[in-house]
Amino acid sequence: MNGVRAAARLHFTKKEMTFAVPLYITGVAAVITVLISLMFWRAGSSIGSPEWISGSRSNASIASWLGGFLTYMGVQSVATTFPFALTLGSTRRAFVGGTLLWAVGTAAYLTMVLTALTLLELATGHWFVGFHVFDVSTLGSGDVTRLVPIVFLGSLFCLTVGGLFGASWTRFGPRGPAVLGAGLVILTLVGLVLTLPSLTTALASSQLWWLVVVAVAVVIAFAATATVHLLRSATVR
Amino acid sequence: MNHAIELRSVTRTFRDTRALDDVGLSIPTGAICGLLGRNGAGKTTMMSLVAGHDRPSRGEVLVHGEEPFENASVLSGISFVRDNQRYPDDYYLQHVLRIAPSFAPRWDADLAAELVARFRLPEGTPVKKYSRGQLSGVAIVLGLASRAPVTLLDEPYLGLDASARTLFHEILVRDVGEAPRTVLLSTHLIDESESLFSHVVLMDRGRIVVQTDADEARQLATCVTGLADAVEAFCRGREVLRAHAVAGLRAVTVAGPVDDDARSLAADLNVRIKGASLQELAIAHGSGDALENSPKEGVSA
Repeated sequence: MNGVRAAARLHFTKKEMTFAVPLYITGVAAVITVLISLMFWRAGSSIGSPEWISGSRSNASIASWLGGFLTYMGVQSVATTFPFALTLGSTRRAFVGGTLLWAVGTAAYLTMVLTALTLLELATGHWFVGFHVFDVSTLGSGDVTRLVPIVFLGSLFCLTVGGLFGASWTRFGPRGPAVLGAGLVILTLVGLVLTLPSLTTALASSQLWWLVVVAVAVVIAFAATATVHLLRSATVR
Repeated sequence: MNHAIELRSVTRTFRDTRALDDVGLSIPTGAICGLLGRNGAGKTTMMSLVAGHDRPSRGEVLVHGEEPFENASVLSGISFVRDNQRYPDDYYLQHVLRIAPSFAPRWDADLAAELVARFRLPEGTPVKKYSRGQLSGVAIVLGLASRAPVTLLDEPYLGLDASARTLFHEILVRDVGEAPRTVLLSTHLIDESESLFSHVVLMDRGRIVVQTDADEARQLATCVTGLADAVEAFCRGREVLRAHAVAGLRAVTVAGPVDDDARSLAADLNVRIKGASLQELAIAHGSGDALENSPKEGVSA
């Protein structure tokens, strides 16, 4: 079997972790969202009012919970899987290629799931009641043309950046993630200091959306490239 | 001779630690080679280089004439499971058995099933919660069922009970007979496994001190016991590898075979001599610390 495909299969072998756990998390977040909505309704909020819609759409539970889990999956996809991949006879290049393939597949799967659920929510008039579970700001406010890039790139972002942290741990031990985390924070702040005036202009001319897409794509490419370089010289002991 | 594994002047350093020091090694194709030595001798480091998990700081590592590092065609013919092997989070035995054939083109599913059954590996427990012996069982499944032309077994006995160790010996001998391959096996249970070995490599502090076929290795040293003065007289002019004394008695391991001269001298001095086993040879070379700063003859450790 092709090395990259074999490495991707190494990750996909854990079907429950890749395909089912994100559904469990989404399901639990949805139930809690509904319960909170019921609580507000019982407290006197008016379902469907502008305040209700605005408040409901600010709920970021699904995005944040899934983001946390996907980042963990990204970390373990390298930190604990890389030594086993070498044991099975994978090359480092094939492992990183397979891991990226798995991340793209997982992101595509989640995009399909969340798109289907969002369309279902919209088609049923927000579950026949007016509950906003998937039609929320962090998932594009019910706009599928925004939902798809948000979920796909967001998932890929979490998986690849998690993988980068896993690779830094594999290469440098506990110092790796600490230095990498501090470095990324400093780099982000310096970037913001340098680009803030143009960001304000971009915001004013409504280009922020595309800037974010480009920035996320750049981070994904950087994370994948850096992972290759870190694992190239990593020693498993 | 066709060599499956060759190391040429290989040195591997980790910061200030020299794990391998100018190692040269050749293991013939089809050999079952025992890799012996104390903890920290460099056995796992050497296996790691052979398996392409690591690169030497200096020198060259060849497997069937090619460097293994990042070489997909070579790596597909090597199996190496570490003694402290890590498995992906939430991996169960079924995951291991499902994925291994994707990487091992010669994977034998029937043999894997037999090993799982005979080592009694639990299927409902995550691999990372396995006992030490069960982890060794998984490593043996991966190592043997892969039928890799170069199979590296790193301390496969760790935690195994006597029945499981015997089972491993039986299946290794049977399966290597059915599908010949080169096996490099590191172990501290030398007496139990020495009958398996066609070749022996003995390491100490990053260097290879013995590499030969197993029969020759058993001729490399002689154990001498008797009254201290008589033993000292026997050892005069011989290289003492290890010595210890109890009351007026002394037991010494000296380099060299039990030949007619030695037998004759032993009879004259009234000392007992016998050829050193592989375990005694390994212990003798591993006890170098005590002899390092002392004259080589007549030393009590």
